[in-house]
Amino acid sequence: MQVYLPIAEMSVDALLLLGIGFGVGWLSGLFGVGGGFLLTPILILIGIPAPVAVGSGANQTLGASVSGLMAQWRRGNVDVRMGTVLLVGGFAGSVLGVQLFAWLRRAGQVDLAVAIFYVVVLGTVGGLMVRESLTAILRRRRARPRRLHEHFWMHGLPLKMRFRKSRLYISVIPPLLIGFAIGLLSAVMGVGGGFMLVPAMIYLLGMPTAVVIGTSLFQVVFVTANVTFLQAIQVGSVDIVLTLLLLAGGVVGAQIGAAMGTKLRGEETRALLGALVLSVALALLWDLLRVPEQLFVIGPAP
Amino acid sequence: MIRALLLFLALASPAAAQVAPPPPAAPPTLAPPSLAAQLSVSTIEVTTAFTGGEILVFGATERLIGAQGDEVVVLATGPTTSIVVRQKVEMLGAWINGPSARFNRVPTYWALASTSPVATLLDGVERQDLRLGLDLMPLVQLGARGPQFRAALASLKQDAGLWVDQVKPVEVSGGRLFHARLPLPATVATGAYQIQVMLVREGRVVARQELRMDVVRSGTAAWIADVARGQPVLYGLACILLAAFAGWIGSVLFRRG
Repeated sequence: MQVYLPIAEMSVDALLLLGIGFGVGWLSGLFGVGGGFLLTPILILIGIPAPVAVGSGANQTLGASVSGLMAQWRRGNVDVRMGTVLLVGGFAGSVLGVQLFAWLRRAGQVDLAVAIFYVVVLGTVGGLMVRESLTAILRRRRARPRRLHEHFWMHGLPLKMRFRKSRLYISVIPPLLIGFAIGLLSAVMGVGGGFMLVPAMIYLLGMPTAVVIGTSLFQVVFVTANVTFLQAIQVGSVDIVLTLLLLAGGVVGAQIGAAMGTKLRGEETRALLGALVLSVALALLWDLLRVPEQLFVIGPAP
Repeated sequence: MIRALLLFLALASPAAAQVAPPPPAAPPTLAPPSLAAQLSVSTIEVTTAFTGGEILVFGATERLIGAQGDEVVVLATGPTTSIVVRQKVEMLGAWINGPSARFNRVPTYWALASTSPVATLLDGVERQDLRLGLDLMPLVQLGARGPQFRAALASLKQDAGLWVDQVKPVEVSGGRLFHARLPLPATVATGAYQIQVMLVREGRVVARQELRMDVVRSGTAAWIADVARGQPVLYGLACILLAAFAGWIGSVLFRRG
């Protein structure tokens, strides 16, 4: 069944979009991340123009994260104070990111920039996650006790603040910077940034795992809302029909994935998620390096 | 006097009766060239279920269509736009967008069909004047130089089905009735389309008819695109609320247990 996407100005098989939504939703439910990092490359792969894929991907991630945030909120797993600090950085980052995106679009390098961002960010995050989780699995075998969290030099910077839910007393500068970076990447890559935010909160900020998912969802929902809004105004590339079709498949998949996710152990989940992130990065890297089928591309003049 | 009048009437009446049909005694070369063409629809609506369509041109010629008689050429052009063609170049092992050429006033849609290949019907000068050929399209290239950009534009447009160069001939039935089906892919641009129907006789275009067709967005698709363009702030907010609501309602509906 073909459906015409009014902003992308093309018609796509609705069942294909529902299927992609379901698959990505299932994985995101399984791993507790928004899944935008998978969605945007897949949309570009099936021929959706990169700006529409990024704008609608952010919008879809917003929808996919709302219910998760509400569930975490009810369980009291959201550190609002930390979330707000992250959000302040995130808003600034996404405003800058959308400007950068609009500029790249004029320069004709959106596809390259999106691909490079994906390869570098996903490659780094995926590699780190795989390494860390494998170390953790090995360490568990040896049954060595682990410290609550480690203090880095950056936690001692000025402007210290107490985050009760996270049991932290650290400088606000690291969370602000992390929020800023995630906001910027969110705008350029069309992702919520959960897959980067979760490890950053655990390893860089030392937050307890219990509040990490809820707090990252808090940040993701508001940053993707901001990105959606800015992309709609500045680039005009949010396709609501595309978003809703992806969401329709996504919410079903997410419930099934979340049910299966409870059966996985933390380290194994992280290792699998890391492997998935890493393979997306490698696929995109291959796409960048291989000789393209078409040596020319056409696009509307800016 | 009365006899003279009666004689005049008697002479004039058969002549008056012969006014409606063309005089059969007249030599063939002086006969008015005649062509009548029409479109099956004057408007194509692009709805959310649009998967492409076609421009159906049909009509009749006064004389028989064929090798020795008349030939029909149909040229359709869509609204124009500006297009940038980018060449991918290898840089540090990766393929990136390199030099680019800009073409202004490029027809988003262009289709040519005829009863016999156009090159055999008209000579080069005539074809050049009427722009009957992809290579005869008047395109000004800005930016990077080189013929490869124009060639790439033509080949990519043809791959997308937006430029159709004599893929299917104009079909003839009953000797004088003709029809042409020009395919419109789903990615077709909205706007006004011009369809020229030309009657070719002895290497010259002797009659021409211009038809107009509109491709318009309609229904929900049109409405969404209009709101997104006209009121982006409202549209952005609506996207946020709709996505959030859809995510929430979905999780309520499909929650286990």
